[in-house]
Amino acid sequence: MNALALDSLPMAIGMLMAEDAAPLPWKADVQAARKGDPSAFESLVRSVQRPVYGLALRLLQNDSEAAEVAQEALLRAYQNLHRYDDARPFDLWVLAITRNLCLDLLRRRTKVRTEELEPMKEVLPSHEASQLDGAIAREERLSLEAAMETLSVDDREVLALYYVQKRTTKEIAQIMGCAPGTIMARLFRAREKLRKKMTPAEEETR
Amino acid sequence: MSPCPDLEVLFAELEAGEGPGLDHAAECEACAAMMEDHRLLEQDLFRLADPLPPPSLVVNVMARVAESPVPQRREVWTGLAILLTSLGAGLGFLFSSDQALGRFGTGFASTVGNSRAFVEGLFSGAHALWSTAGVAVACFIAVVVLSSLFGLKRLVGSPPPSLSEA
Repeated sequence: MNALALDSLPMAIGMLMAEDAAPLPWKADVQAARKGDPSAFESLVRSVQRPVYGLALRLLQNDSEAAEVAQEALLRAYQNLHRYDDARPFDLWVLAITRNLCLDLLRRRTKVRTEELEPMKEVLPSHEASQLDGAIAREERLSLEAAMETLSVDDREVLALYYVQKRTTKEIAQIMGCAPGTIMARLFRAREKLRKKMTPAEEETR
Repeated sequence: MSPCPDLEVLFAELEAGEGPGLDHAAECEACAAMMEDHRLLEQDLFRLADPLPPPSLVVNVMARVAESPVPQRREVWTGLAILLTSLGAGLGFLFSSDQALGRFGTGFASTVGNSRAFVEGLFSGAHALWSTAGVAVACFIAVVVLSSLFGLKRLVGSPPPSLSEA
């Protein structure tokens, strides 16, 4: 009997669900930026630019649009800094703005520009252990990325936030504006769709 | 052996750490293989990372920040300062000029007199309406009050705005 999964999966899930009692490193910068200090805002931009751009790229699947949306989201964060609640993590707030902008853009799109998807695969990196394993890992990553690209925006979003950005379910719920209790189910459904994309032959077994 | 459980049920039990679905999976090769697939898939997914943003992103953002209008809070303070200054100037003019103060007093008394007549007219109209169509008016008021309360309840119950309008 193969009971391996029964032991290890809940541990991984539980570990990620643990809430971090993180300090508020952005608070001083936010206060300084509100008073008009551009270097403080630049520091905030630098701290969140990667997850912001990463989320935009996962949702839009187009690097130039992702860069534009990331810029716009950060600009709007600056313009609405007085409306930001200091008790809330700054990165989650900016990610929520980014998400809304991406969804607006996706709604406006009339067709999927599939010809632009190929270069994106080269842009998305992974934590490759060594150059020796790099080639195999890269192939696996590319097939995983390719499978992810075929999923819906909702599925890509929840997978990217949970697995790529290592967000907790509560943080994801804050970004997506939904109940934390629904995230695990959405995550599971997205992962199951991805599994079926990766191993289509096994679909008939259940 | 019991039939294979629904996958969502199985994973909900996996989160909870117990359940009949997990007991089944411990003995079912198909379920165990599927869960192993998920475990391996999770491993691969955790290895993915966000791409590096273009090097020009920060520079471009800061350039747009430098060009962008002043954040609203400063505008509010500026507006408030203008309002207070105007009010101070107006009051100063009033108190420094007897004629202006006299005109202001006359205008104020006239407004009070007119508004009293307006309120009395409003009440007498409402009284007439109530005496002719009391039930309909009561029903209308009840609908307005209930729908307002329902709206307020929904407003209070909804999560804080996530800057969707931003």
